[in-house]
Amino acid sequence: MSIPVLTADRTRVSSAAVTPTRKPRRRALSGAWRWASPVALLLLWQVTSSTGILPDDKLSSPAKVLAAGVDLATSGQLGDAFVVSLRRVLIGVAVGAVIALALGITAGLSRWGAVLVDPPVQMLRTLPFLGLIPLFIIWFGIGEEPKIALVALGFAFPLYLNVYAGIRDTDPQLLEATAVLGFTRWERLAHVVLPAALPQALVGLRQGLGVAWLSLIVGEQINADAGLGYLINNARDFLRTDQVVVGLVVYAGLGLATDALVRALEGRALRWRSTR
Amino acid sequence: MAQHTVTVRGLVRQFGPRRVLDDLDLVVRQGEFVALLGRSGSGKSTLLRILAGLDRDADGEIAVDGTVSVAFQQPRLLPWRRVWRNVSLGLHGVDGREVAEKALAEVQLTDHAQAWPLTLSGGEAQRVSLARALVREPDLLLLDEPFGALDALTRLAMHRLVDDLWQRHRPAVLLVTHDVDEALELADRVLVLDEGRIVAEHTPPAGRPRRHADLTELRARVLADLGVVTDEAA
Ligand SMILES: Nc1ncnc2c1ncn2[C@@H]1O[C@H](COP(=O)(O)OP(=O)(O)O)[C@@H](O)[C@H]1O
Ligand SMILES: [Mg+2]
Repeated sequence: MSIPVLTADRTRVSSAAVTPTRKPRRRALSGAWRWASPVALLLLWQVTSSTGILPDDKLSSPAKVLAAGVDLATSGQLGDAFVVSLRRVLIGVAVGAVIALALGITAGLSRWGAVLVDPPVQMLRTLPFLGLIPLFIIWFGIGEEPKIALVALGFAFPLYLNVYAGIRDTDPQLLEATAVLGFTRWERLAHVVLPAALPQALVGLRQGLGVAWLSLIVGEQINADAGLGYLINNARDFLRTDQVVVGLVVYAGLGLATDALVRALEGRALRWRSTR
Repeated sequence: MAQHTVTVRGLVRQFGPRRVLDDLDLVVRQGEFVALLGRSGSGKSTLLRILAGLDRDADGEIAVDGTVSVAFQQPRLLPWRRVWRNVSLGLHGVDGREVAEKALAEVQLTDHAQAWPLTLSGGEAQRVSLARALVREPDLLLLDEPFGALDALTRLAMHRLVDDLWQRHRPAVLLVTHDVDEALELADRVLVLDEGRIVAEHTPPAGRPRRHADLTELRARVLADLGVVTDEAA
């Protein structure tokens, strides 16, 4: 009948347009069905747990995880751990951002900056930075500093690389056009170079935040006495797999939340692109 | 005696061993519309960039009197600034929303003041670029093949628009083009650039708008200067 034709037509439309436009009814259907398999898996997990196939000390059931979550939340433990971890990420990201922006802008704007800054950063980048943990412990001890330093380092590299690349990719034609209008170096920086580098910088921000969370999780494994990592390690010692999973869920939630935040930021800052 | 907006004498510009501009002389009088023709690679853009102050490595006497604006072949709008902002950039610093909107009205783009540049068609973007150039009330308007990337119909509309704007504001105009008809229709004086200097000068009939039929003979002469042999010239 006419269905294959319609399908073919639809594929063509969606590949041509920037945002695929589908029939609303079809979207509603697939939207609901996308939840089917996750829910089924969750049910399967619950059933295997309740029937004892999946032992509690290997992985607690979803219901137990939920109960443990409520428990940890109402006792205030989860909130405290959350605040500690969030603080580590925020400070680490702030420090990393200052370093990455300073280096990236320096390297991007001046030829000498590029010659002097970029090679060492590129060399350091090839180091697996999580391997630096022993050195960090020697340098910073086992308190907050090595954790924050790890987050800062993990965050700084992607941001630096993207800021640098974004600035270097600035269209020289636009710089010329504004030079003719009498713009000074600083005005061109503000009106042309930085806005031109923004999309790439936001890509760097997103990548950097991903690495920052990873750095936090790894960093919190070393001798933490507070924070989500501490909560998880503690739970491990008592074989409380339900609490471990709660910690993991919170990590995941934080990752998702920052991603959504950056996406919202992108949507707002890059409005001029979305209308293409 | 008429004032000169552009006075160039003995201009030399070399790229490596190549003299792209070689002892070039050029005068553009106040409010005069001059078209500069030349083969691709003959140095038209090079000359324009020197006059715009974008290339400071040229030798010779170069005097430009007054404010200069440039419109390039590509509109070169800042995509992250709304259309009216792009126009007010031409005012450099002054936050001239009103002035920008007036300039946009002159190029028939009032409705697009709030739009993002990436949503504009090629012709619309080029008109914004013209508005940005004109909003500064330049004494010299440099146009580097500003219609080159447009389709034929849009190009004709742009010719009328530029003619109109020039009559109203009376800047001196140096229009670089490789389109002979465009040059003959718009300019007071048509110059031909070849081998690094001005090799020919033609003056189309004074009246405007010019009738295509009146220009046939002149077109053949200009084309001959450019090394193209036509039936009329033969
Ligand atoms: N920055 C540059 N470096 C080297 N050669 C250049 C440069 N700019 C222009 N040229 C050369 O100068 C000649 C004239 O270029 P241009 O002025 O752009 O010609 P057109 O008349 O087509 O505008 C060309 O051969 C071009 O290759
Ligand atoms: Mg050119």
